[in-house]
Amino acid sequence: MDNHIVDILDNTPFNALSADDLSTIHAHRSICADCADAWEAARLSSLLLHERVSDAAAQAANANPFFQTRVLAAWRAQQTSGAWGFRRLWNATGALVASMAATTAALAVLMFVAPATNTTTTDQTATLVPYSAESVVLEQDDNQLTNDQIISAIYDDDDEGK
Amino acid sequence: MEGWLTRIATNTCLNMIRSSKRRPEVVTSDLSDDETDFLETVSSGSGSQELDAEQRVIAVDLAERLLGTLSPEDRLALTMIDGEGASVNEVAEVTGWSESKVKVRAFRARKKAREALEKLLGPTGH
Repeated sequence: MDNHIVDILDNTPFNALSADDLSTIHAHRSICADCADAWEAARLSSLLLHERVSDAAAQAANANPFFQTRVLAAWRAQQTSGAWGFRRLWNATGALVASMAATTAALAVLMFVAPATNTTTTDQTATLVPYSAESVVLEQDDNQLTNDQIISAIYDDDDEGK
Repeated sequence: MEGWLTRIATNTCLNMIRSSKRRPEVVTSDLSDDETDFLETVSSGSGSQELDAEQRVIAVDLAERLLGTLSPEDRLALTMIDGEGASVNEVAEVTGWSESKVKVRAFRARKKAREALEKLLGPTGH
């Protein structure tokens, strides 16, 4: 089998084969059965395809003449039913959307209002308690032990232990 | 606008064909007596030949079954180029594929169709 012939048949539409291609194929297929089979199959394939395309064209020509009118009417009907479509959508999902909105509002209230309330409480607590951490550290009483007294007390204890 | 709509329609049709299950290979045992007779008659003839109404029906059915074994893309390329005589450039514009892709698709489809028909003609012809 000459692959050159098969390549010609596979690369070019059957009806577009040039005169040179045809003469080459005809010269070869008379001496090669495989290439003759390939040629016959390609010819039959082309014939079947053309019959199918012709049949499709005939069907299209005999199509319902009101097809376009019906398509346009359906399209207009779909356009005019847009508001009703929104109403149907709202009826179906309205409860869900409303509950989501309510949840969002509740979360927003919790996020922005609740922290402010907490801050106020902290301020009130600060005013009620007469001292803060800073006052404890910085404003120590004279009655409290000094560092030297603490150190001496610690080392005295150690000495006693010995 | 027209090209855009054509491409959308083409891709929609391709998706619909793709979603339908591809049929298996056409084998000789699937052929009816009429189809076998048709293949014998047509393959024994030479050149272009006119078919009668009954032969046309058989030819269309055989073509459908043959194309059904191809992928939707290969089917489109083969139908447009070999059946309708469209150019590679025209198919590329309609589908949005590159010209090389169109050529590869058409080559592959032509080869598959030829090989399938060679198998069908094998026991009957020559």
